[in-house]
Amino acid sequence: MRRFKLPPQILRLVLLTLAVVGSYLVARHFLVPTSFGEYGWYRGDALALIASRPPLYAGKQSCEKCHSDILHKLAADAHKTLSCEACHGVSREHIDNPNIPPDKITGSYCIRCHEANPSRPAWLKQIVIKDHYGAECADCHPPHQPTPTQ
Amino acid sequence: MKTLFSRRSALLRLAGAVAGVLTVSVARTAKAAVQKLFVSTSAPNDYDPTKHKWLMCIDTTKCIGCGLCAEACKRENGVPEGPYYRTWIERYIIPKPEPGSDQTRGEPLVDSPNGGMHGFPEPPLPKDQIELSFFAPKLCNLCENPPCVQVCPTYCIGCAFCVQACPYGVRFLNPVTHTAEKCTLCYHRITRGLKPACVEICPAEARIFGDLKNLSADDPIQKFYENNRVQVLKPHLGTKPRVLYAGLDKGVS
Repeated sequence: MRRFKLPPQILRLVLLTLAVVGSYLVARHFLVPTSFGEYGWYRGDALALIASRPPLYAGKQSCEKCHSDILHKLAADAHKTLSCEACHGVSREHIDNPNIPPDKITGSYCIRCHEANPSRPAWLKQIVIKDHYGAECADCHPPHQPTPTQ
Repeated sequence: MKTLFSRRSALLRLAGAVAGVLTVSVARTAKAAVQKLFVSTSAPNDYDPTKHKWLMCIDTTKCIGCGLCAEACKRENGVPEGPYYRTWIERYIIPKPEPGSDQTRGEPLVDSPNGGMHGFPEPPLPKDQIELSFFAPKLCNLCENPPCVQVCPTYCIGCAFCVQACPYGVRFLNPVTHTAEKCTLCYHRITRGLKPACVEICPAEARIFGDLKNLSADDPIQKFYENNRVQVLKPHLGTKPRVLYAGLDKGVS
């Protein structure tokens, strides 16, 4: 009986396939991040990386420590749902060092919310600036206690 | 005749390649260790993800379209300048039907200039032609069955399959890192016991955030459930979103 001999072209094909698959596996081993699949279909270290980001907005409860009088006033009137940073701006640095003022650039002013717009819900007090009184908003509506007293 | 590849040079090249691979391997392990060290020092380590199940509720009848949430999100998460938003506000304007038509309403107009970050201009229609108008904040719907994950082939290589697969259009490729990005519910804040930036900043309490696994006695999300008829976006897709909406119109998707 003649011994079966693998034709050389098949052998070359097998070797080539092994080389391609092998180099794919080697490349994959080195390219896939080590923590991939630790918790799910993503890089596990991404969680810790996102968590390491320092928060910028300090939160209303951080203001309580020094400004409880103002927060008390605020809670008694229409602006009770507002966060301090909605108007005063990002305050993380201000919390850590009171000499650094809150970042005014991210703060807002009255008309951002109160300028009349038909898309706004009816419960919100809205004004058309040119038809309203000409003075400064805060002359009649101090922001911490916006309902006029008389 | 001088051969191009002697045995010696071939062996040397092979040894060089093996040494290179080993160096890369060692460097990677070292880099991972250093990263882990750096990360564990600045992040809270008493947070156990399995003990929380976060939920976002949005009351569109309360949204006043000020855009503070979109602005705060961008700032808090360092989202690059330009048309990239992890959360944004859409304005829906539903016109009155054409006189004499058999329709109940006109074709809805939807816009979101700069994601609503700087407010909304005057509507493109006069007030008396508007049947109904409202704002709808959008963000990642935190699906229990996320289509974006189903199509993801591997760790992020910026292929943007997930961007295309998301039925809510919440994903984008970060132009700096060239990887996919979306809302994380401010993971760096909630792991420290803070609210997500958009919830913190919303002046109208249109966004309510809570933890289903740690409900307090009078939890705002419990109240939201009790006081509203809630719905999710595109329920027919079976994605099971964990962002609930109250007061939505049928035109919103």
